[in-house]
Amino acid sequence: MKDNHITEILDGAPFTALSASELNTIRAHNRSCGECANAFAAAQLSSLLLKERTSEAAENAVNANPFFQTRVLAVWREQQTGGAWSFRRWWNATGALVASMAATTAALAVLMFVAPATNTTDQQTAALVPYSAESVVLDQDRDDNQLTNDQVISAIYDDDDEGK
Amino acid sequence: MEGWLTRIATNTCLNMLRSAKRRPELITSDLSEDETDFLEKVSSSSESGGLDAEQRVIAVDLAERLLGTLSPEDRLALTMIDGEGASVNEVAEVTGWSESKVKVRAFRARKKAREALEKLLGHSGH
Repeated sequence: MKDNHITEILDGAPFTALSASELNTIRAHNRSCGECANAFAAAQLSSLLLKERTSEAAENAVNANPFFQTRVLAVWREQQTGGAWSFRRWWNATGALVASMAATTAALAVLMFVAPATNTTDQQTAALVPYSAESVVLDQDRDDNQLTNDQVISAIYDDDDEGK
Repeated sequence: MEGWLTRIATNTCLNMLRSAKRRPELITSDLSEDETDFLEKVSSSSESGGLDAEQRVIAVDLAERLLGTLSPEDRLALTMIDGEGASVNEVAEVTGWSESKVKVRAFRARKKAREALEKLLGHSGH
């Protein structure tokens, strides 16, 4: 059996995955081939070193920093309470803008709901006095008999009051 | 999601190792006396029995230096398949490589590691 064949068996699969028949073949060959015996020992050693390294890494993962869990839980709690903190940060950043927007909205609301009430009073006056000063003075074609004197006087003086 | 994150982490680590570009050769003159004794004891014993605490430390250090001589890809394949017992398919999923590429990487890595250790064993009185 050629040496290449032995090394191909060794390199073709993990050492621990070699079957019993493959190990028997290798050992039988090694009795008459020093180079392959050395290759077999090296492959065995390589497997041993890798296994030790893996088990060491696994132990390190298990025996991690004792404060690791505490730190993870602290970060988790911080994230859980992050809602209130985030609102405070948001308010600090945009509070002035939001307050000015609220004030503007309030002012617009006042203008919308209070100012029409004033206009309503004027409209009520207009309903009571259906003639404006202009219509009385300029509308010469209209029959003056249709208006009473009180209506004319009240129309003139109400318009004057509005002018003030 | 987990597979995606694993692949990103794997590729990031591979890029970091590639950028290091430092793969010193493992030579006998770099070995300490304890390491040389360890190699002689382990290679002379037919059974790979349990190691004591000091031998384990030496073994882990030698393993790190051995893996340091390999390329990042070879190192990954050897560590996962031979060290952690992962299947070729699992390595392919993690790395995004084809299964044939994983097999080739693992084959080359085993060969390089074996040849490096053969040199050490040959010089340590084997």
